Amino acid sequence: MNSVYKGPGFDFSNTNRNAFLETRGLPLPKATSTGTTIVGCLFKDGIVLGADTRATTGPIVADKNCEKIHYIADNIRCCGAGTAADTEFSTALIASNIEMHALSTGRKPKVVTAMTMLKQMLFRNQGQIGAALVLGGVDASGPHLFTIHPHGSTDKLPYVTMGSGSLAAMAVFESSWKPNMSRKEALDLVTAAISAGIFNDLGSGSNVDACVITATHTEMLRNFVKPNERVQKEKSYRFARGTTAWKKEDIRNLIISEVVVPTREGEEMDTS
Amino acid sequence: MFLTRSEYDRGVNTFSPEGRLFQVEYAIEAIKLGSTTVGVCTQEGVVLAVEKRVQSPLLESSSIEKIMEIDRHLGCAMSGLIADARTMIDHARVTSQNHAFTYDEKIKVESATQAVCDLALRFGESVHDEEAMMSRPFGVALLIAGVDENGPQLYHTDPSGTFVRYEAKAVGSGSEAAQSELQDKWHKQMTLKEAHVLTLRVLKQVMEEKLDYHNVQLAQVTSDKGFEILDEVRLKALIEDM
Amino acid sequence: MPDGSFAHPQQRQFNPYSENGGTILAIAGADFSVIAGDTRQSEGYSIQTRYAPKVFRLTDRAVLAVNGFAADGNVFVKKVKQRLEWYRHAHAKDMPLRAIARMIQTMLYAQRFFPYYVYNILGGIEEDGSGAVYSFDPVGSYEREACRAAGAAQSLVQPFLDNQIYFKNQQSLPGQSRPLHLPLPEVLSIVIDSFTSATERHIEVGDGLEMYVVLAKGRSIQGLESFRGVQELTPNPDGDRVFVIRRELKKD
Repeated sequence: MNSVYKGPGFDFSNTNRNAFLETRGLPLPKATSTGTTIVGCLFKDGIVLGADTRATTGPIVADKNCEKIHYIADNIRCCGAGTAADTEFSTALIASNIEMHALSTGRKPKVVTAMTMLKQMLFRNQGQIGAALVLGGVDASGPHLFTIHPHGSTDKLPYVTMGSGSLAAMAVFESSWKPNMSRKEALDLVTAAISAGIFNDLGSGSNVDACVITATHTEMLRNFVKPNERVQKEKSYRFARGTTAWKKEDIRNLIISEVVVPTREGEEMDTS
Repeated sequence: MFLTRSEYDRGVNTFSPEGRLFQVEYAIEAIKLGSTTVGVCTQEGVVLAVEKRVQSPLLESSSIEKIMEIDRHLGCAMSGLIADARTMIDHARVTSQNHAFTYDEKIKVESATQAVCDLALRFGESVHDEEAMMSRPFGVALLIAGVDENGPQLYHTDPSGTFVRYEAKAVGSGSEAAQSELQDKWHKQMTLKEAHVLTLRVLKQVMEEKLDYHNVQLAQVTSDKGFEILDEVRLKALIEDM
Repeated sequence: MPDGSFAHPQQRQFNPYSENGGTILAIAGADFSVIAGDTRQSEGYSIQTRYAPKVFRLTDRAVLAVNGFAADGNVFVKKVKQRLEWYRHAHAKDMPLRAIARMIQTMLYAQRFFPYYVYNILGGIEEDGSGAVYSFDPVGSYEREACRAAGAAQSLVQPFLDNQIYFKNQQSLPGQSRPLHLPLPEVLSIVIDSFTSATERHIEVGDGLEMYVVLAKGRSIQGLESFRGVQELTPNPDGDRVFVIRRELKKD
């Protein structure tokens, strides 16, 4: 329908055009993807979430230090893998809705609520929103950890991984996870799992972000480990002055000089 | 050797009890019937000269072709069954072109010679049930002259597929006398001009007819101009200078 | 066909090729040549190995870098080496660089309709003692150049080389002439920086770096002696010489 009015939600008006263009050989623009290793892990006092910090467009690194652990609520965080825009929008949207929900109910938000809202939204969109999420938090009913797939299916498990580095990370969990770990043990395990993704999965890289959520406190450990600092260049690439070519030179005088001729002389301003 | 003829002189690929291949030896004999061909190597280049037997006054002497170009940097003079040489030179030309195509460089004189000799030895060869490609050895000797990164070189090949490098070499009917003359007169510092004269003098000595520009052909291979057959004008001038 | 399984003609295809990432580059100097490649071999998002050489010494004066489909690359190098040995036996000398270049063209073009899925860069010393780089496409089109990058990060590295080697987009300053060839230490710095930078921004580049340096006969090792971990591969210091320098690259 060609209407000036646009309703809420997604705008599908270009879908037919784009499908046609694709058949005629025009490829769709590549979206930034968070190739990604994201994990979550249950421990004695709560949840530890982890993520790498690489964002890619195809084989090119788009962002060497992006943030993949998104805020949902004070006691809930969500790691996102897949299309960067989709994970960012989905989590931001649900964060808003959770805040509204908390305000209207007057209760602290629950992890299942966020999970349900996310899965319903993703299911509604039939997998078109490319968000693969690890949702974790601690609420009145205790610690909860979920994975949410782009089509809307969810899992509730004591340790989870997602993204292109999920196999590398899961290998670490499967070899070393045990129930009732201490905070340090859990954080070390998550770091090891993310590192496995960083070093063995090309879609993941750079630094380890972590987030520890307990009943009383949430601690975001941004760049918890930085195992991939950039090395020093051999040479300086400063261009010598005058290296840049120009087509024309035009120097403008920005100082305006004018002669002000007073029309009347010696009359004081009336300040009365 | 003609006295030792036996049933072994028939098969081209059968050794006699004394360890000889008669057909190959006969082929080498055939060359001795051919016209005299001389090659002389100098530091400036290689000179090839052949005697043309003009058997009849009606014969168009320019149609006798005994010196041929293999490539820009390779020439070849022959003695013996000239028709057989065609096959060999064709092969040398293909080999040389193929080398230039594949490696973007001139084939070495030795490599070209080796290729010709590989072919010379392929007589009597047949693949299971099929007719052999060549039934007998070639009855021709070649003097292959050329210039490559190792300088000017002269090679001699015979029907047995053997090749040897020479500073100066004569083959054909008058080869014995010619060769001893070359041995006497050749020296290291010889110029190309001197080589021209030497080859002509040697031919003159062994030829039955009186040498003139009709019954000899002269060619040279130098590093800057490559292979060239000397034209009538230059040949006449040389003969006069002799 | 009640189930409709034969309703439409079906087509299946076997794809014999894959792409194994990595990047190679070569720069020619006046009397030397540098040929380099990273050592990561990958498929999709997986690393197959962190050390798979892509640069190979062919003779005392020729080094070949191969990038693309690793299986084809390895076979191709093997066949080139075999041809070089045959040539040595047939012609009693090492094949000159330009002859190797032409031979590679014929070998690639022979596979015109089932190509080796590889980009080749050949570097070394010509017969006249000058440094040279030859680059090839998969079916044998080739050209002699001063520098060339190929592989996964070609689009990142080549513009950098154009700017630094050919001084593209750099206006020359009055009274200052541009060198036709850069000195060896400068070239090695540019090579290292090319690879550390490509490693930063391309996911398929990393793990290790191998730089081969070919020096013309009679050239001093000036510019190489100060380098950490230089290893000579040629037994005879009187002819052309080949050296290799190895460096670590980031592993993420």
